[in-house]
Amino acid sequence: MTHGLWNLRVRIEGEIIKDVEPEMGYLHRGIEKISEDRHYNEIITLMDRTCYVAGLAWEHLFIVAAEQALHVTPPERAEYIRVLSAELQRIASHLMWYSAFVQDLGLMTPFLYGMRDRDLILDLFQSYTGGRLTYEYMRVGGVRSDLPLGFTQRCRQVVDWLMDRFVEYDQLCLSSTIFHERCDGLGVLLEPEAVAYGVTGPMLRSAGSHRDLRKDRPYSVYDKLQFQVATASTADVTGRYLVRMEEMRQSVRIVRQCLDWLDDHPGPVMAEHLPRWLGAPYAPMGNESYLLKRNYPTGVGLSMMEEPHGEAGAYVVNDGGEHPYRVKFRSPVLINIWAAKRYLPGYRVADIPPIMGSVDVCVGECDR
Amino acid sequence: MSSVTLYSVAYSIAAILLGGLAHLFPAPVHGWLISGDVVTALATVIFAAILLAASMLNTILLIWYERKLLGRFMDRRGAMHVGYAGLLQNFADGLKLFRKDTVRPGQADPLGFWLSPTAYMVTSLVIFGLLPISTGWNGGSLPLTLLLALVIFSFAPLFIFLGAWASNNKYSLIGGMRSAAQMIAYEVPILLAVVAVVVLAGSFDLNTIVLEQRNYWFWAPLFLALIVFLTGMLAEMERIPFDLPEAEAELVEGWNTEYGGMLFAFFMLADYLRALVGSILVVLLFLGGWTLPSYIPAALTSFPLAGIVWFMVKTYLVFGLFVWVRASLPRIRTDQLLRLGWMRMVPLALLSVILAALVVLARCLPLIGCVPSMGG
Repeated sequence: MTHGLWNLRVRIEGEIIKDVEPEMGYLHRGIEKISEDRHYNEIITLMDRTCYVAGLAWEHLFIVAAEQALHVTPPERAEYIRVLSAELQRIASHLMWYSAFVQDLGLMTPFLYGMRDRDLILDLFQSYTGGRLTYEYMRVGGVRSDLPLGFTQRCRQVVDWLMDRFVEYDQLCLSSTIFHERCDGLGVLLEPEAVAYGVTGPMLRSAGSHRDLRKDRPYSVYDKLQFQVATASTADVTGRYLVRMEEMRQSVRIVRQCLDWLDDHPGPVMAEHLPRWLGAPYAPMGNESYLLKRNYPTGVGLSMMEEPHGEAGAYVVNDGGEHPYRVKFRSPVLINIWAAKRYLPGYRVADIPPIMGSVDVCVGECDR
Repeated sequence: MSSVTLYSVAYSIAAILLGGLAHLFPAPVHGWLISGDVVTALATVIFAAILLAASMLNTILLIWYERKLLGRFMDRRGAMHVGYAGLLQNFADGLKLFRKDTVRPGQADPLGFWLSPTAYMVTSLVIFGLLPISTGWNGGSLPLTLLLALVIFSFAPLFIFLGAWASNNKYSLIGGMRSAAQMIAYEVPILLAVVAVVVLAGSFDLNTIVLEQRNYWFWAPLFLALIVFLTGMLAEMERIPFDLPEAEAELVEGWNTEYGGMLFAFFMLADYLRALVGSILVVLLFLGGWTLPSYIPAALTSFPLAGIVWFMVKTYLVFGLFVWVRASLPRIRTDQLLRLGWMRMVPLALLSVILAALVVLARCLPLIGCVPSMGG
């Protein structure tokens, strides 16, 4: 397959798919195990590599669980910056999906359009995190640095430009008869089956479900933001396309609200009175007793988030120390891929690229 | 228009060359060298060489044109670095491929493996000898030029399938079978669309077909046939949306997966040669060849080689259309492709034949009125 290091074993009769078996594990790096030996802020580095197209979303996921386990509360401005980052990351991730998906259909032009527009978001990320793919931006207790001057202005320009481009994308795909010939009614996974398989994210919402953790179990500041859950009713490849396109528009809406809030509410982006071992940038120096005496808290943290690919989960057990006792992640893509046993058989070999393309595979996150 | 033809140019060159050469030899050889047969033979060779050079040059230019145009459609610049605006990029690419080792897989059949690209290239080149670029600028005017050109054009699936089978690779074989099925399926509507043109022009000779378009270009009465022909040509060229034999998401690179180096370059060049032939055929059959409508000022149509210039302009515009399609359409599925070919294109082509017949009938109506008086 074209979406990274994985194989799909397909049993066929003629052109018809009878059974499939995904083969995963080529990209397994043991991130959960490595995390047990690492400082919390060092695990952020691994989070960027977990899903390399949605690094900030996974940083957010882990950091919320870690903060629960460590009993740290970030300032509200940091929460808004995190949500802003997560939503920009969602757009970037969906643009990446769009590019890969249309290329599987043989469309080269929108592939380049998608990559071009994703670059604008990467430029934004670069301006405040310094990185374009692996950001290492969030910290326990907040974010590493505040947004640079003029960022909100630039970001507004970018999302305005993107809103116009979304229209262009739809024109290139939805108004093409061939696109509908290739995508309509393919890879159907109805809601009860999707739920039974644990499929989440755009794949579930394309089947008519309204499940979106940002609404159902609001985390961070999502309960203060206005947006709609994008859904479709066809449960097929076109439906997933529509859901992701609408999600990008809703993300732009959230980004604009975040920018407005951030403009009006300057403030700190790191929690105050963090213990020095958590790497607080402005921790008071010179107080040796503070350095020597380490009061490690204990606790358990669980975060479930609507990541671009689906519902991701992080579970952090902290038994007192600078690194967690155990970290466990739920990868949405792994589960979405395994449901291929249900939504692939019955279609043709040539339908595999659009159907698997519509899943939005990120192997780094499956294998961890 | 001057009466200079490509053949007369070749003949003059041959005569001058042989005339100069003959002075070096004693009388009997001297006389034989400047005899008509020898000059004709050399003129034919020079003619073929000019044609070969022109078609190859045009093909490479066509690749550059496609890269630049596609780049602009995709909001990028295309080749920029070798030569002015990347004009020499394809020469550089060709040189690189030429220097590469040609590897034949151990299990591949040698004869089929070597024969296929060569034959594919040669059959694509032969067609150029048949296509009139302007008055007098083709190899010869046979009564059935168009038919012969299409017959040679349809050799391609055979050689593609041969190459795919000989490479002994399952993806190549699947690609080759797809390719053969696709090309054969789209031969039918193409030929039917051509029949419509032939009915209207009353000849299989391309020169005559162009001359018959002096009053109106055939695209207007035969718009349906043009659409069918363009679609069919897209399928014959295996370009998006009909590039299934090379669907990289499913089959690695299709039927030419195992070919590298110069053999790959042969396939690539032959593909673009065929694209050029397709565009030229569209211009010849539907867009009036080298002629321009009478309302165009004479200054634009009477300069030296005006026919060729306008012909090339039209050809590149038609190819630009193909590039535009490539930039904006997704790929369709094999079964959809075949369904489209047999269930949509063939009936449309048949309809366009009927339309052509009706146009001919309408043209003849005044004559029918005259028949009794002629008899009387």
